Amino acid sequence: MLSRVGLKKGRMDWVILAAAAGLLFIGTLAVFSSVGVLASYERIVRTHLIAIPVALLFFSVAWSLNYQVYQDQWKFVYGISLVFLAGVLFLGVVDKGAKSWYRLPFFSVQPSELARIGLIVALANYLDRRGSKMREFGGALGALLLAFPFFLLLMKQPDFSAILTTLPVVLAMIFCAGGGVAHIAIITGYAAVSALFPILWTLLSMSPELTQNPLLGFFAGLSSFGWDTLIFVAAVAGLAWAGWFLSVKLYSNISGVFFTGAALVVTLGFFSGMMVKNQMKEYQQKRLEVFLSPESDPRGAGYNLIQARIAMGSGGVFGKGVFSGTQSRLGFVPERHTDFILAVVGEEMGFMGTGLVMALYLTLLYRLKSAAQLARDRFGYLLCCGIFSLYMVYFLINFGMLLGFAPVAGVPLPLVSYGGSNMVATFFALGLAESVYSRRYALV
Amino acid sequence: MLEALPVRAPIAAPERLEILWTLAWAAGLLFLLRFVSIQVLQHAHYRELAEKNRTQVIAQSAPRGRIISADGQLIASSKPSFTLVYFPGSSAPPSYAERLASALSGPLGMKQEDLKSSLRRAVTRETPARIAENLSVSAMFAISELKNIYSGIDVITEARRHYPFGPYLSHLVGYMGKMDSREWARYGALGGYSFDSRVGKAGLEKMYEKELRGKSGGIFMEVDSRGRLSRILESRKWVPGADIKLTVDSAVQSAAEEGLRRSLSGRGAVVALDPRSGAILAFASSPGYDPNAFVSYSDEEFTGQAEKIPEFNIAAQGTYPPASIFKIISAAAFLESGRIDPAEKVFCPGYYDAGSRVFKCWEKKGHGRMDFIDGLANSCDVYYYVSGLRAGPLAIEKQARAFGVGRPTGIRLPDEKAGNLFGPTRRATRKSYWFVGDTLNLSIGQGETLVTPVQMAVMAAAVASRGVLWRPYYVDSVVSPDGKTLLSRSPEKNGEVRLRPETWDLIWRSLKKTVDEGTGRPSLIRGAEVYGKTGTAQNPHGEDHAWFAAFARIGEEAPRVAVAVLVEHGKSGSGSAGPIARQVMEAALRGVLPKNETPASAPSVGISTRPAAGAFPDEKEGEEN
Repeated sequence: MLSRVGLKKGRMDWVILAAAAGLLFIGTLAVFSSVGVLASYERIVRTHLIAIPVALLFFSVAWSLNYQVYQDQWKFVYGISLVFLAGVLFLGVVDKGAKSWYRLPFFSVQPSELARIGLIVALANYLDRRGSKMREFGGALGALLLAFPFFLLLMKQPDFSAILTTLPVVLAMIFCAGGGVAHIAIITGYAAVSALFPILWTLLSMSPELTQNPLLGFFAGLSSFGWDTLIFVAAVAGLAWAGWFLSVKLYSNISGVFFTGAALVVTLGFFSGMMVKNQMKEYQQKRLEVFLSPESDPRGAGYNLIQARIAMGSGGVFGKGVFSGTQSRLGFVPERHTDFILAVVGEEMGFMGTGLVMALYLTLLYRLKSAAQLARDRFGYLLCCGIFSLYMVYFLINFGMLLGFAPVAGVPLPLVSYGGSNMVATFFALGLAESVYSRRYALV
Repeated sequence: MLEALPVRAPIAAPERLEILWTLAWAAGLLFLLRFVSIQVLQHAHYRELAEKNRTQVIAQSAPRGRIISADGQLIASSKPSFTLVYFPGSSAPPSYAERLASALSGPLGMKQEDLKSSLRRAVTRETPARIAENLSVSAMFAISELKNIYSGIDVITEARRHYPFGPYLSHLVGYMGKMDSREWARYGALGGYSFDSRVGKAGLEKMYEKELRGKSGGIFMEVDSRGRLSRILESRKWVPGADIKLTVDSAVQSAAEEGLRRSLSGRGAVVALDPRSGAILAFASSPGYDPNAFVSYSDEEFTGQAEKIPEFNIAAQGTYPPASIFKIISAAAFLESGRIDPAEKVFCPGYYDAGSRVFKCWEKKGHGRMDFIDGLANSCDVYYYVSGLRAGPLAIEKQARAFGVGRPTGIRLPDEKAGNLFGPTRRATRKSYWFVGDTLNLSIGQGETLVTPVQMAVMAAAVASRGVLWRPYYVDSVVSPDGKTLLSRSPEKNGEVRLRPETWDLIWRSLKKTVDEGTGRPSLIRGAEVYGKTGTAQNPHGEDHAWFAAFARIGEEAPRVAVAVLVEHGKSGSGSAGPIARQVMEAALRGVLPKNETPASAPSVGISTRPAAGAFPDEKEGEEN
């Protein structure tokens, strides 16, 4: 059933803007509080205050332009995004081991944030044109091929945070466009396996004592081609055959194709993972380590997460008051103004703060979903689906990481975390959604 | 182009977006539960952790209460000392310990290797460690500068136990040490103790641990995640512990310790009591130990030293045959039995033929004709053999029991021994026979009778007080720093020896004569009346043990001091124990003794005209207290 929300006449969904403004307000307080004692305080405050009007400008532009323009000009959007993203490899500056910033006089720009919106536009167009043929595997594959240059450029920087947040968006858009669930599962499995091995090997090289474990030691040996590799492939094949054999014996009607496919996916994923690993340059390796444990700490794995949780828990229901959080202001919470901003909110504004942030986020997602469902065309629908899934991914990963449901990874919380480019891109994306909403039943 | 698009294009699968949305809010629900759990239900737990995180306490142990002698001398006090501590939490890479060790080794004057290993140990144990104690002032300043460069190190001020006299009264005072697991279980619950706190391990330090220990103070600091000081939240001053006032007189104690040190074997015990109250004036037991030795130590050192402590307290735990000082008890039994006429004389040829065996007198030549007073004064064994047989062993055993033999005196010391009461009823309980020879041995304090020096001091005090069997005590009061008396001990009786006044008179006269003319001459004090009895306990394992029990008074007033001296392997009571007793009593009476020290002006009230000083000139030197 379609939701009735917003069916009444209106040029703009004020709820989206209000939710975004609320999140931005809470985020601004938390950011200012958490960086209050840092030496970079002034720079951060200045960047943040510059970013807000710029973001609002982008929002207005995106909202006032008819979104269908982007479908017409999708090649241009796609091309400019790629160029923008590729340019940083030549003109960008290196920060924390990644070359992902354009340095401008007053602030820096992270092109991946805006380019990702471009990718969503291009994908929405492709999936719209593909139309009813999405049931075929070719549809999903085409979408992946379209996104491939982006991932290649992101790997080159490398920006694992962007990869981690963008890949699910691509899959979600294929899903929403009606792609076969099995196809998506295959792609997901392949991506997961090929990401798993480089991550595993990096983790093992970060803490060599883990290789004492015979199983992990075996996996560590797999990173270069050898007998171990053959054993592994044989084991995968054997397991798949055993599964098929068992399912036959149990009279289940699972097709043999499933087992063959699973084995193939794992094997292929493993080999591409090995390729990725061997292709990885040292700086990429370093960056992956930083990504896997932001502010890597001698006090042991989990220290950061524990400190963030202590911050949140010590806030209680009403919090310690803005600018009074001891955990965050004294530096116990890592990445306090970016990835762990929610811990600062939790400490200073308590359960009221975190609950409000979550409520606002869910409201935002709900209204984005409504905007998608109200869209007058499939392109608008898919565009909103992409935007919806992008912020859903952020929501799930950032909250999940802080609450211990997901592994710690350097993923910020848009609108709340500090980050000018992300804020601008987010408001631009919200502007696009508003544009879809505004033009839901009339030609403007 | 736009008109080609229908207003409501058929959406491929609108329910798919609904699936994603369901996923989002379901996850949101899960997150909400988690938020409630962390922020609402476990709030108190996390708040505590956050407080611990940001505050670091540098504890400053309070000065322990002082232990003060009756005359106001500090026997145990505290002095400030600077300690270098290392908090391993703030920095862990192994190279850091190395750099820190090399930076510290200069000012501390310690080997880099040693420093490194103790820093490493602190890191692996994850507990703050004392790297160096008792820092010199220059080292302290050097380290205060390093503190700004290296995180995790700090200098704290602590009050440290100090015993100004060193090995002195050690068996009463005890010593301090680190807690073992049992003590940690007991004190840890009281609060205010940290794992490396030191507690009293023996003696007064242990017994009055709760009172002596004050309230530790500390600097409560807010630190950032790297352990750097952000601001000081609170600086809490410590409260010193309560002082313990002893009944022990430092001069008397010094005389006792000095006397034992100079004695033949250096092993023995001296116990001096005030016969008017049972208060202990001196309590020396040699060998003793220097409690200062345990204040400064590292773990390894301490365990090594603890094994070597001569914890055995001869004064309360050593049991010896009382020998001739038991004759006081026998004498009381004779007179009370009514079978002995004190004026009747017994002839001593130097031996007594008991039929089956010949019992010797210590004087081989024989004493000749001895009445009661001479018999005691000369410690004539034969007189006691004869009278003992006449009075009967039961009478003697009864008196021995009355004087507290075979029963602990109740002094508050661990593992006090009761000794052994010897007599026919005791023998009967063991279903054995009593022989004539046993009676003879019993009369002169040999045989199976065993006593501790404390018991003998109590006995001497009982004679001095004419019958009061005191329970000896040595803590006069415990006074808190604000002047409140937390605890005060009053004299306590263990019993009473009921003898006829004539009996006491006769015993007193005999004991006086012992000192004036008999075996007790070495303990003669000009200006005071000294009553005493020597004893020489036969010891099959070496030289005989020397005993001396005595009390003294000035003029006609009540005796002020009673003392028992035991010198292991001292050969003779008169020669080695007597002089110690004299020094102790002189020290006890120093305030009231007539200042005039010329022999002519010391005719006290005694019968004696013998100048004591000339006879024992070398003993004068020992009186430097």
